[in-house]
Amino acid sequence: MNRQATVALALCLMSGLTTTGYARQFVEEQSGQDDLWEDMGDWDETVSPFNWSGFLDVAGGTRLQSDPYHPDNTTLADVRMQLQGAYTFSESKISFRGDALYNGAEDSWQSQIRELYWQGNLGFLGEAGKSVDVKAGQQILTWGTGDYLFLNDLFPKDYQSFFAGRDDDYLKYPSLSMKVSGYFNVLNVDVVITPEFEPDNGINGDIFSYFNPQTGENTSDRLSVSNENTPDKPEYALRLYKTLAGTELAVYGYKGFSKLPQAADVNGMPRYSELSVTGFSAVRAVGPGLGKLEYAFHDGEDTSGNDPRLPNDQSRFLVGYEQELIANLTGGIQWYTELTHDHEALMTNSLWPQYEPSQRRHVLTTQLRYRAWRQTLSLQAFNFYSPTDGDGYLSLKTTWSPVDTWQLGGGLNLFYGDEPHTFYSQFRDASNVYVSFRYYFGE
Amino acid sequence: MFIGQQYFKHVRVLSFAIMFTLPAAFATAESVDVTALITASEKAAYYAGDDGRSDARMLIVDGQGRKQMRQFTILRKDVADNGDQKMMVFFSRPADVKDTVFRVEKHASLQQEDDRWLYLPALDLVKRISAGDKRTSFTGSHFFYEDVSGRAVSEDNFTLQSETTERYILKASPKTPDSVEFSYYVVEIDKQTTLPVLINFYRENGENYRRVEAVSVETIQGKPTVTRSKVTDLASGGYTLMEFRNVSYDLGLDDNIFSERSLRTPPVQWLK
Repeated sequence: MNRQATVALALCLMSGLTTTGYARQFVEEQSGQDDLWEDMGDWDETVSPFNWSGFLDVAGGTRLQSDPYHPDNTTLADVRMQLQGAYTFSESKISFRGDALYNGAEDSWQSQIRELYWQGNLGFLGEAGKSVDVKAGQQILTWGTGDYLFLNDLFPKDYQSFFAGRDDDYLKYPSLSMKVSGYFNVLNVDVVITPEFEPDNGINGDIFSYFNPQTGENTSDRLSVSNENTPDKPEYALRLYKTLAGTELAVYGYKGFSKLPQAADVNGMPRYSELSVTGFSAVRAVGPGLGKLEYAFHDGEDTSGNDPRLPNDQSRFLVGYEQELIANLTGGIQWYTELTHDHEALMTNSLWPQYEPSQRRHVLTTQLRYRAWRQTLSLQAFNFYSPTDGDGYLSLKTTWSPVDTWQLGGGLNLFYGDEPHTFYSQFRDASNVYVSFRYYFGE
Repeated sequence: MFIGQQYFKHVRVLSFAIMFTLPAAFATAESVDVTALITASEKAAYYAGDDGRSDARMLIVDGQGRKQMRQFTILRKDVADNGDQKMMVFFSRPADVKDTVFRVEKHASLQQEDDRWLYLPALDLVKRISAGDKRTSFTGSHFFYEDVSGRAVSEDNFTLQSETTERYILKASPKTPDSVEFSYYVVEIDKQTTLPVLINFYRENGENYRRVEAVSVETIQGKPTVTRSKVTDLASGGYTLMEFRNVSYDLGLDDNIFSERSLRTPPVQWLK
């Protein structure tokens, strides 16, 4: 989809939402300015070490078309409550963030502890400890430079939430980890140890069907991985970073397992195979905008590429640029490529070579972000397009929040493509629209 | 522009006082006066002390009377007076921005854009932000980013317009008119504190559409400090009140505080 169409769609979405918004609008009686300064005076001077807040979120989404493999058109039907609290000590804190929800699309009650960690400094161990911070417990972890594209970020993600239109926060999935961060003059170091492997929540047939190469068509059979095929071993992630002459440089390492069950066992059942990743990134101001570069080598179990049950090694490369085009409107582009190593061996040994990706799979992303009305309205259009697969994914989303207590949101996820098996195209019947309303509360 | 004899004398007295502390400001008689005045004013408004911290609260009221609140703590350190600065803004309210941190490395040179980062706690994401128009809303308020970080005085040409017994009144015209939404602004500088206390912005047709005013000024550690200010969007009637509390200067803030580390692990001892 071209950019003009993207903008036009975004504008349609905006006008629809604002009409609703204005209908809901209420006009408060304007109090005198002196009273308002008095309101401002209602400012708790004694900072309590404990604070809490939360929100209630109601969200619904539906397919734009039917999916022959999924009788239900509902893609999102959440009634969710999130509570967060933090207790701050003199030099550390304990933080909690947890969700309880009724997931109507899966007809189940669910809960998730997104954060429950202790974060502090090791200064109590002596002078050397002052340079080291620790965050231990259930937490969300992120690094790397890509927008919605992850090369060196092997922390768990939840693609089902992303495709269903849940808030971006839910693209990241929590893990029980310990992160040790050292800050030194030479460079900064992050070491993350996750004692037990935490995979991604990928598309598994629950809400969205996926392509099954065995049958040559989509299926909604639940893609579940048995316990013996799910490692319970640790994952290690490392980042070294430093800013040199205005360029933010980072080197990454990961040792663990593929985050999606891309490998198969001897019976053809899905499993998570071993994976090591090494890479680097650089970000710096380029002209009026920001340029970025990232590389990652994904080194799996199949070193020669001739085992059809194992994913081949890949080199992943990303280059991107973003800049503010006019006030409040930012545009960005990214070019991402996956080079599959030993591609010839893959094609020779594959059980379904016709469905294997080309040796070089390219993805071009374009995005526009616009904020208006003193940032109370935000609009985002993000398009992934793969010229090698001839498919893509357009995400449009908007939020409107003219007060502190509530936010109205909505969006569209549109998957398109020519063939049934390619990465984005297999989700054509997952295309959906969604709306959400969030009410914030707290002290 | 005609400048009355009486006025000129005042400015000269002031300029001598300023030149005593800012010996670098030399040029022709008239430009020295204005340059020294606005430089002193910029220093008083944005560079008090070598560093500082303040709690801040904003009440944002839109044209329909809907209210929003922001509460945050600012830490600032000057690299040089009237020059580069490092700044961290730690948000505590409302709930959806709690623990969000904004980091700025302000560059006074017009050739170099400020470096900016944002930490989004729910994603554990440090996001470098591309250089942006500085005359756009600061965190949803009617204040612009530039009102908070300070518009470099080198961006505008200043001329003395008039004076009262308490204030100098200057007109400022942008050197690159295409980069801003105003045609000119009129700033009133308090003679005693050299703080800008009232700024009215005008469009080309003479319409006064925006006003920034200092509502109260207190002397903290010997430094006159704006503790309450207000910005009004005169077209919509919307406005934002900002109040500073627990202001202190010259704390000896370490350079290390102004780093990615503080985005992820805020320096709690400076936030209380």
